[in-house]
Amino acid sequence: MSAAAVNQAESKAASAERVTPELQQEIEQFLYHESRVLDEHRFEEWYDLLTDDIHYFMPTRYNRLKREADKEFSGPDEAAYFDEDKRSIAQRIRRLNTGMAWAEDPPSRTRHMLSNVVIRPRAGGEYEVDCYFMVYRSRLEREVEMFVGMRHDVVRRASNAAGFTIAKRTIILDQAILMARNLSFFF
Amino acid sequence: MGAAASNGNGKLSSETLRAMVDEKGGRLDPRIYEDRAIYELELERIFARSWLYLCHESQLTKPGDFFSTYMAEDPVLVVRQKDGSIRAFLNQCRHRGMRICRADGGNARAFTCSYHGWGYDLAGKLVSVPHEADGYRNEIDKSQWGPLQVPRIESRHGLVFGTWNESAPSFEDYLGDMRWYFDGYFDRTAAGTEVVGGMHRWVLQCNWKFAAEQFCSDMYHADYSHISALIAQLPEGVDASMGRLPTTGSQFSSRNGHGTGFFTDPGVGTVGNINGPIASGWYQGPHQQRAIERLGEPRGSQIFGGHMTVFPTFSFLPQIQTLRVWHPRGPGEIEVWAWALVDRDAPPEVKNAVRLGVLRTFSAGGIFEQDDGENWLEIQKVLRGHKARQQKLNLAMGLGHDRGDDQRFPGKINNVYGEEAARGFYRQWAEMISTEVPA
Repeated sequence: MSAAAVNQAESKAASAERVTPELQQEIEQFLYHESRVLDEHRFEEWYDLLTDDIHYFMPTRYNRLKREADKEFSGPDEAAYFDEDKRSIAQRIRRLNTGMAWAEDPPSRTRHMLSNVVIRPRAGGEYEVDCYFMVYRSRLEREVEMFVGMRHDVVRRASNAAGFTIAKRTIILDQAILMARNLSFFF
Repeated sequence: MGAAASNGNGKLSSETLRAMVDEKGGRLDPRIYEDRAIYELELERIFARSWLYLCHESQLTKPGDFFSTYMAEDPVLVVRQKDGSIRAFLNQCRHRGMRICRADGGNARAFTCSYHGWGYDLAGKLVSVPHEADGYRNEIDKSQWGPLQVPRIESRHGLVFGTWNESAPSFEDYLGDMRWYFDGYFDRTAAGTEVVGGMHRWVLQCNWKFAAEQFCSDMYHADYSHISALIAQLPEGVDASMGRLPTTGSQFSSRNGHGTGFFTDPGVGTVGNINGPIASGWYQGPHQQRAIERLGEPRGSQIFGGHMTVFPTFSFLPQIQTLRVWHPRGPGEIEVWAWALVDRDAPPEVKNAVRLGVLRTFSAGGIFEQDDGENWLEIQKVLRGHKARQQKLNLAMGLGHDRGDDQRFPGKINNVYGEEAARGFYRQWAEMISTEVPA
């Protein structure tokens, strides 16, 4: 897939709703809340922020010449770092909770930093939310990894305490060869 | 001799190197994992002499399709030719040594070095040199200045291997007594296999032998290193005590350093069903029927949850279907390049199930594989220690209990929980590393 195709993968029927400063702040606060939940390893709470039809997806990425830019990202039937539904995410959390998931025991220290939040309202209380992310991970004595990229989320208004749920997340990492020992955390 | 394996001149004697592996006593000198001089010798004496995995044929379907990979640290371009053959050559322009192609793959009509514009055809032949008339005065013999060709390439069941060693045995002879197992894993149906598009590539700060040896020989670690994933995969409500591996199985050690291990009963857990019900419905259904007809038993249906390595760095997990090469990057680093292998004629939903199964279990984010890196990286870090490097490691599991008279499994066999194949792997390593390359 090309970068443009990945970036436009979310675009559906737009809504006439305006992105007011209040809406911008409301959604940004939700994203910050979610980041805090992840960084504090409150995975059950995070799981409850996901809709039952969540698609959590992170394609692989390649160096291509410009004339073959359409092959920069893996397609939907190709190798992905993550291609998860709610059940497989539950399995990942179940593993982390066994007390024997050695890649996260002792746990990593993570910080999810988000910026460049752009919101596109859809019909029916759904919002496409793009952001840039920087995820810092420190592990054991002195291992440090940095993950920089972009997220395309779809969030839905919900009656939970956070005000929203996450229906879709596409993670675009700005690396070709993954410069990390593993992906044992969530973006 | 001190903690450093090499003397002041950086020279290592063949005797010193050979003695680092004591396969008869079941002891291993851990300096083989961290010594820079040994690593440099590995590039020369092991990687430049062995058959190395290049790619799967299904990655190169059309003339001009190319894949950019490595033979150890040497970058190579693997290219499908107009006549359908596959060629590979060092991805290094002979003019100033620039990388000829910097894309990971694609389709090309020719390759042009971006430094001075030397142009190569799909076979790696130098065909154009800018300023050939006025600059070089037509005095350059282009036939002499192509990039180094990989002289030997062989494809077996769609898997393409290459070696720099012109006097190497055929790939079939290189497999030797491993061939029966290799064919049992990769030649199961007439339709053959293909890889799922794309790949996983990631970096681990550890020596390549930890990974290659584990896939060669180590079922032992799975029950403990991967216990969290074994438990997580159990159906809801099933007690965690069921998250165990089977207990009955065999391990094979090749005379040429290859190895494999597997269970001979499916056990109570998820082994054999690790990629979920859609995949196992195929692999225990139509696939298995065809394999029984083609290979007979026990290879058709009586081998469960295996692991294997073709020496030095090509590994595969049968049934889980992850295929990979461990590219060395210095004594303390590797790049893992991994693919999912599927039957070419499997229905799309089966291919997708294997694709999802592999990425969720054995990839950088896979719930099994995450823990492997944790082990290997910590061993590597501990080996910075002066005393740690002096501690001989234990390679003795099942020592002396190998047999060569198994009725079902040919070759040197031992219990599935054992280190027979590891001893064979390191014996091969020690023999090659202590044998000088003729000048």
